[in-house]
Amino acid sequence: MHNETVTLIVPARSEYAKTVRMTAATLVSRTNMNYDEVEDVRMAADEAFVYAVETLDPGADVRFEFQVVGDLLTMDVSLGTGERNATEEAERSATYATFILESVCDSYQFVSDDTGAHLRITKQAGTVHAS
Amino acid sequence: MPARGSAPKQSRRLSWDKVYTKKLFRQYRLEGDEDARDELITMYLNLVKYLASRFRNRGEPIDDLVQVGTIGLIKAIDRFDIERQVEFTTYATPTITGELKRYFRDKGWAIKVPRRLQELSFKVSQAVDALTQKNQRSPTIAEIAEYLDVTSEEVLEAMETSEAYNFVSLETDRGGDGSDSFSILEYVGKDDVLMAMVDDRTTLSAAFQHLTPQEQRVLYLRFFVGLTQTEIAQKLDISQMQVSRLLRRTLRVLRENIVRD
Repeated sequence: MHNETVTLIVPARSEYAKTVRMTAATLVSRTNMNYDEVEDVRMAADEAFVYAVETLDPGADVRFEFQVVGDLLTMDVSLGTGERNATEEAERSATYATFILESVCDSYQFVSDDTGAHLRITKQAGTVHAS
Repeated sequence: MPARGSAPKQSRRLSWDKVYTKKLFRQYRLEGDEDARDELITMYLNLVKYLASRFRNRGEPIDDLVQVGTIGLIKAIDRFDIERQVEFTTYATPTITGELKRYFRDKGWAIKVPRRLQELSFKVSQAVDALTQKNQRSPTIAEIAEYLDVTSEEVLEAMETSEAYNFVSLETDRGGDGSDSFSILEYVGKDDVLMAMVDDRTTLSAAFQHLTPQEQRVLYLRFFVGLTQTEIAQKLDISQMQVSRLLRRTLRVLRENIVRD
């Protein structure tokens, strides 16, 4: 089992959302994830990206680190200092973002280390069944 | 195992009061208080608006998306199991996004997308339905690619394309060059839904006479209320296997009677 990391750095601007979604989807397309799970991965990547764009300073880059081990995708998104605007709207948006992540990922976590704040997401094949 | 995350350095102030939500659900479910249901809908409309806004760059008026999302919210409110130890928002979010995703999947588009991708996107959507039916599970990207004899990358590109959906006239010539042009109307060719429903209802109500009250109840819970087999099993205090068998048998009886009639 390889433990390789794919890193994607894109400007924190909404027009790069497609690049992020496509990269995530392409990476999991070789796993056993089904159509609905790949859709979930795309939504999770999109949501994480929007969250990062809203968190980072204008002109900053968003750094994504993807790892696919077997049927498990791990996605690490850099959030700079992780501090967001304290406006009510920003808080509401963050809360909703977590609802979406909760519904499309297996797990998501906000963590901080010496490289700053990160959002870590995991998604494993075999968790979504066609309704 | 879903792990709950917490956003850094921000309060998790919610506009929804959990205790009050529970109270409203009890009022609606146990006492049939329709006002409580309306209040729940109003309370969670902000969630719908946010989720709808996440689909805003896909060429649909936001008001339409909010309407579609609200249908999802109402379904979630009507199906939410108040005995289950899960937050309503956790239950409602996938139901609402599911409704929005389905809406986009079922639509045609008008944004300029290369014709090859438009057609491929249609085919991917049909392949997903066909393979899901055949294998009784959602297909992988590789399976869809093999089924359509295209590469996985093309399937992914088609998935991305299918989000450039928009309203388009049913009569619009989608061929472009005029040589082998076809309109969506020709492509889709649907029955008049309402007329077909009148017909179906008459046929079904006749066939329903052949079912026992329990069989009717299982059918009602599965297809009208939209409960899962497991949920029906819990409600009727029987095993999921029995529900499954009951459903199969009931559907067979119905089918035989419909064919006979």
